[in-house]
Amino acid sequence: MTHLHYLGVLLFVMLCAGFIATAFKPRAPHFWRSFLYTDSVILVLYLTWDFWAISKKNWFFDSKQILNFNLLPRVPMEEVLFFIIVPFTSILTYLSLKKLTGWRVDSE
Amino acid sequence: MIYSDIALDAVIFAILIDLFVIRTQLITKGIFWLTYLVILPFQLITNWWLTSKNIVRYSPSQIIGRRIAGAPVEDLLFGFSMIVLTLSSWEFFSKRDNHDL
Repeated sequence: MTHLHYLGVLLFVMLCAGFIATAFKPRAPHFWRSFLYTDSVILVLYLTWDFWAISKKNWFFDSKQILNFNLLPRVPMEEVLFFIIVPFTSILTYLSLKKLTGWRVDSE
Repeated sequence: MIYSDIALDAVIFAILIDLFVIRTQLITKGIFWLTYLVILPFQLITNWWLTSKNIVRYSPSQIIGRRIAGAPVEDLLFGFSMIVLTLSSWEFFSKRDNHDL
């Protein structure tokens, strides 16, 4: 079970996303297409940073608390999921707050 | 270049992209800062969780050493840059989709 520790953190974030989605029902036209483009940017930039930081030992992961399954060299699978789940939850939060406050981003 | 330098550069990079490159200028809007304020406590919870259980650890030579909720202060810069880039990219791509540019 120890190997699931990092996944547990990600599950917590996903539960937050699930709560936001059901409680506030944020909506946007072409949500998944926009999300795909947005997250592609994030994945490329932050996985590059992650790969570099792990290589330089800026930070490192406890191999007992992760699945030790790598989609990319040196970068744990959990990190890839992190850079999908966290932006996803951030966008849901943003859309919900826009809906709740009625605040807009365009000035006109 | 230690984590502190990169994290600061990432914030500057994210702000330059938002203000001058894709010109979403989200950091000048109230809705951005409200969203950041709501996300921040959750970032602190996950930071604390990941660091207090030693799931992730940092080389002491790569950080300035000040910590907030168990995690290096650099993580706040990391998180801020990611939120700016995520939400400004979102604005950029979702607008482009709607107007079919």
